[in-house]
Amino acid sequence: MEIIKTSVIGSYPIETDNMKFIKNYFNGLENFWDEYISAAVNDMIKAGIDLISDGQTRDPFINIFTRNIKGCRIRDRPEVINKLEYLYPIIFEDIIKIKKYLPKNKGLIGVIAGPYTLSESVVNFYYKNKMELAFDFAEIIKKEIDLIKPYVNLISIDEPFFSNKFPDYGSELIKIITKKLKCLTRLHVCGDVSKIIPDLINLPVDVLSHEFKAKPQLINSYEEYENNKKICLGSVRSDNIEIESVEEIISHVDQASSIFGEKIIQISPDCGQRLLPRDIAFKKLINLVKAGEVINGR
Amino acid sequence: MFSFTKKQEIFDINGVKIGGQPGEIPTVLFAGLFSKGKPDLITSQKKLQKIFELSEQLGNPVIPDFFIKKEEYIEIVINFIEKSIPKNIPFSIDIIDPVIKTKVLELLKVKKLLSRTIYNSIHVGITEEEFNSLKNNKPNMIIIVAFNPKDKNPDGKLEVLENGANLTNDGLLNIAKKIGIKKILLDTAALAPGDNSGAAIASIPIFKEEYGLPTGCSIHNVVEKSKWLDNYKNSRKIVDFSSNINISAFGGDFTIIGPLENAEFVLPNCLGGYSYIRIL
Repeated sequence: MEIIKTSVIGSYPIETDNMKFIKNYFNGLENFWDEYISAAVNDMIKAGIDLISDGQTRDPFINIFTRNIKGCRIRDRPEVINKLEYLYPIIFEDIIKIKKYLPKNKGLIGVIAGPYTLSESVVNFYYKNKMELAFDFAEIIKKEIDLIKPYVNLISIDEPFFSNKFPDYGSELIKIITKKLKCLTRLHVCGDVSKIIPDLINLPVDVLSHEFKAKPQLINSYEEYENNKKICLGSVRSDNIEIESVEEIISHVDQASSIFGEKIIQISPDCGQRLLPRDIAFKKLINLVKAGEVINGR
Repeated sequence: MFSFTKKQEIFDINGVKIGGQPGEIPTVLFAGLFSKGKPDLITSQKKLQKIFELSEQLGNPVIPDFFIKKEEYIEIVINFIEKSIPKNIPFSIDIIDPVIKTKVLELLKVKKLLSRTIYNSIHVGITEEEFNSLKNNKPNMIIIVAFNPKDKNPDGKLEVLENGANLTNDGLLNIAKKIGIKKILLDTAALAPGDNSGAAIASIPIFKEEYGLPTGCSIHNVVEKSKWLDNYKNSRKIVDFSSNINISAFGGDFTIIGPLENAEFVLPNCLGGYSYIRIL
């Protein structure tokens, strides 16, 4: 039986020191983000998580990408005002820095905002339609993925908007960004995915990740389909400050195993933990790791 | 002369007007006092007198910008303002520490000086205590520093005004409105050289067109932090003083010029800039 790895989905709550930013500004000193990234990474390491992300501390995940793509700008919301162009690396430098201090027994996740979700999250002032926009986002995302792929153990694509509507071209978008990828790929779609499972299980990714803890009925929804994908099982909630006990997590994984069997290769929070208080997020990760140890030790 | 499509606000504080279309109102200078820390009252009094006279001759208003760096200086500085600054002249308070800010606001209220006060400034470092103190002790006018540590481009500066760039719970403009202050000046946040300092000047017409609010910056800070100018010591001050002309040339309304003694040299520059923009 394959060892189940503990993972995060992406974001982790780290509060920025805005007064430090402003003091540095007034004193003509440069501001750096490294301390916030390393705080997130170190919490994940300390909790014992196997697959670690950069914590997405810089911005909400949509802004991380739109801030750095030519043709986008951020006003009240991200806006597309011109043809999209990939000008420079987006998360690459952070990945390289983390890789340097990440313990060798830990894996690194390259967390990528999905092209469909990006196209649905921005205010579009330029493209004739959202499909055209989504395909341009896909081409740009692919360039970033190709840059980071030698340094990460998993490419995790966030496509929460798939649960609202899986577009006719959804599969094409994922094909573009996963083309010729040799490392493990994961697609994270939160929300109620019960109606799009047939679409999801045919996508060119290795692992499907959903919020199975908040929506345990999704486990049964999968039973109706012949699924060959591996599963990252959301096992602690990201929208609730109640800390799940180790026993509760084990019971949840056991329940899911009755449907998915050995397809469960990762357990994780349901979604990014950005909206939780840091101490709660940390305790949830600790219990996730403890549950993983028990499950793998059986 | 160029002009903005957006209606340009002109705010009045104690008879000093700030804002408007390029060339409509003379550029206002904010001149710093006590930026090194300990207030030197006697020397400052003399310098102020000289600068006020020059300001009257040339027509560009000078607003003294008081730094208060320690709690022990609060009463000294506020008493100085109360007794030594002519009642027809507004002033700004330039403080970083939120605790000192709060105490100064309370004392300004007690001394009935808030109607002459320009609060320099709110920014992403605003605390809840500072916000509440501003609601209870409203200055007449406020400066918002559009510094965004995530993005130094004009877009990033707009973002922090619009939504706080996810650093504050709300955009800085909304925060100022929630405090209940309508007279808002926008500072485009000049950064050190090599750190996209030009964006502060480029942002002036963008802000003016977007919001119609009086806009300026402290371009002096860029020159002050330009180490390469150490090799050209005789030129440093000239570059510093003349840099201010960029603000009016780009349609800006005010310039934060650094120490008060700079005003003697910046004033004629600003008059020159103002004349230039009127002729264009």
